[in-house]
Amino acid sequence: MSALAALTIFLVAFVFIASEKVNKVKVVLIAAGLMAVTRLIPGSEVFFSEHEGIDWNVIFLLLGMMIIVGVVKQTGLFDYLGIWAAKKSRGRPYRLMVLLMAITAIASPILDNVTIIMLVVPVTIVVCNRLRIAAQPYIIAEVLASNIGGAATLIGDPPNMIIASRANLSFGDFLVHMTPIVIIVFIAFVVLTRLLFRKEFEYNPDQLASVMTLQEKRAITDVRLLVRCLVVLTAVIIAFCLHTVLHVEPSVVALVGAGVMVLVSGIEIEEVLDEVEWGTLVFFMGLFVMVAGLGHTGVIEKIGTWAVDAIGQHYFGAASALLFGSAGLGAFFDNIPYAATMAPIVESLADQIQDDRATQGLWWAFALGADFGGNGTAIAASANVVAIGLAARGGHKITFWQFTRYGIPVTIISVLIAWGYVYLRYFA
Amino acid sequence: MKAIDIVQPIPSVTTVDSVTAAIRQMTDANLPGVVVVDEQNRPVTVIAGTQVLKMAVLTAYHDDPALVRTIDEASADSFTHDCNQRTVGECLSDKKAKPITARSDATLLELATIMLRNRSPLVAIVDRDKKLVGAVTLTALLGTMAPENQPA
Repeated sequence: MSALAALTIFLVAFVFIASEKVNKVKVVLIAAGLMAVTRLIPGSEVFFSEHEGIDWNVIFLLLGMMIIVGVVKQTGLFDYLGIWAAKKSRGRPYRLMVLLMAITAIASPILDNVTIIMLVVPVTIVVCNRLRIAAQPYIIAEVLASNIGGAATLIGDPPNMIIASRANLSFGDFLVHMTPIVIIVFIAFVVLTRLLFRKEFEYNPDQLASVMTLQEKRAITDVRLLVRCLVVLTAVIIAFCLHTVLHVEPSVVALVGAGVMVLVSGIEIEEVLDEVEWGTLVFFMGLFVMVAGLGHTGVIEKIGTWAVDAIGQHYFGAASALLFGSAGLGAFFDNIPYAATMAPIVESLADQIQDDRATQGLWWAFALGADFGGNGTAIAASANVVAIGLAARGGHKITFWQFTRYGIPVTIISVLIAWGYVYLRYFA
Repeated sequence: MKAIDIVQPIPSVTTVDSVTAAIRQMTDANLPGVVVVDEQNRPVTVIAGTQVLKMAVLTAYHDDPALVRTIDEASADSFTHDCNQRTVGECLSDKKAKPITARSDATLLELATIMLRNRSPLVAIVDRDKKLVGAVTLTALLGTMAPENQPA
């Protein structure tokens, strides 16, 4: 009975989140409150159980990274790079697109995708306005590149943070298992864009002069701040790589990094805290309580057992289902609640499989599907929604189908490449 | 003293008027903002001058001071963006916001607190049918606090 009640609360909340008719933070808070009030999850577990309550590792990892990004944002680095790319490409569309995608994809494994989009899209709009070309293809390509690049590391995409915490995977594990395939997919994506956007490329050499008048050096007013930020950021990445050796959680690395970043930048703490997306953090907390309700009432275990019975010894079949299923569902729903819901189910499944290699294959197939699914449609990931909003306000409206027309082929090709990788690496 | 004693008749715009029309109205009548009305002359919203300015500047520049610094002087001098093509309605950031209004019998303290609460230098004054009568500006309100014939 309690399992049915938990499942009902969860499904109703999920429908509301997916419909985007009601603020999703309100939805998860109400659903989490209902789970707690009806004792579907004990109050003590909500706050103090790592797996049956709020996963504070993920919350504080996000908080630390938001603070770090909040400081890096103020350096003007991305405006400098965006204009540098425009000048370097001399307005040639494919070159411009590749450079902008490269900047986005290189930054996205380290910094949050939404922030990168908020930094790169404005400069893209200004450059495209100057070249008198449509900004939509460039913005779409940047979003797709950021979602691909973000898959490379533990901190690049929120689903990875959730999966890492649940599966006890380290930053190094992501570098070893995810980064190689992300590089391959990104190279394939760069080649594909030439074909995908071929009808959209416009070249106006007569407008190049107006781009060349942009003064990118003026974007960076405080070189010392930039150097300090880059030094701290490098130290944070090294610490992430060594967190298993240092025996500290990634969340602790992020929090210490954030503290050092605030200290060396000299920026007022209130100013930095304004950059923290508190709504997102509350959303995550509520989501964890909702999922914990399912775990506590035995729903997740039942699904896990059912899945084990269904797949039998066909582990590659299970990994394929996870990869394609996650990409398919992740394309139509926000991939964060999806990953938070599925992670305990995959954990339950993995716990019942004796083969270590197959277990690994399941986790990485899940991560790849959830991450690459974020490219599927205009609403699949927060970065997509933010980019479309920025583009519309900048006079370059992107429709749902305009985005999805490019998102679907990129997702299909990414997932197919990932499928081959999962097979060769974990099941061949 | 009440709102009716310091209200001044003002021109208004509708949501289908261009941003240029709104700017021209502010500058011609020397107003700190504009009142947007519907077909029945009822205020839909009151927009402070800085918000009108926001409508005129490309959104890509709004939250990116580093990007703004890269723009050369000649381009920066003509910073307005598509003001003729875009309507006031299209540029309203909060379409559900209640208009900043007061009745003709509102006291000066009421007007002052409405301005403070909404951070608006302009309050639209409406009659019983909620139709626009005029507006009280921040300057007019401050003028009652330090009249010209009173020593500083």
